[in-house]
Amino acid sequence: MSTVMTTFESTRFGTVELEPEAIVEFPAGLIGLGGTRYAVVATDPDAPFAWLHSLEEPGVALPVTNPWLHFADYAVELSDADTERVGASDDDQPAVWVTVRAASDLSGFSCNLRAPIVIWNGRGHQVINEAPDAPVRAPLFPEAATAPAA
Amino acid sequence: MLIITRKPGEKIMLGDDVVIHVMEIVGNSVRVGIQAPRSLPVYREEIWDAVREENRAAASVAPDALPAPAPAA
Repeated sequence: MSTVMTTFESTRFGTVELEPEAIVEFPAGLIGLGGTRYAVVATDPDAPFAWLHSLEEPGVALPVTNPWLHFADYAVELSDADTERVGASDDDQPAVWVTVRAASDLSGFSCNLRAPIVIWNGRGHQVINEAPDAPVRAPLFPEAATAPAA
Repeated sequence: MLIITRKPGEKIMLGDDVVIHVMEIVGNSVRVGIQAPRSLPVYREEIWDAVREENRAAASVAPDALPAPAPAA
């Protein structure tokens, strides 16, 4: 293992190990949450969820997921201003995460397709997706909602 | 709160860098132009509010609702 690991303290998870590449600067913070330094912390590489954890507030962590795992035809359309803010060109492949609202059972889980988090070059922006069909609360497990009660 | 009256074509300055341009009034709608530095995101309030609500709800997830990251070795 050659990468230099660093750690940070989380009230939720205790001491968490971090690769420097996982650190993301959010110049404008997350909408309504503030804070400019976060890290993307994966549970394991194949896990469906990761955590966007504040490096400034040990108690602030948001579960996030890769939207394309759940919505194969998901599209992100950005305003010119957001495109410029993100700074990625057409050939680049910025990372895209969406926040997850957890619930006591799977049928209540949803994710925010309207305001994805786009990360490029170590900088992150929560942007407003202008594509149609991008609800703020998209059910993550619609099949759980329609399945008959066991 | 500052409350002022403007006519179409008039503007409001927020500091030196942000310009609110009252463009036209049609029926009960006001068309507004906003010039702001790129570093200052501009949102419709109801969208900002909905996203803030989702961010807060996401951040308040119960500790055991989702798997935790691997603990430091």
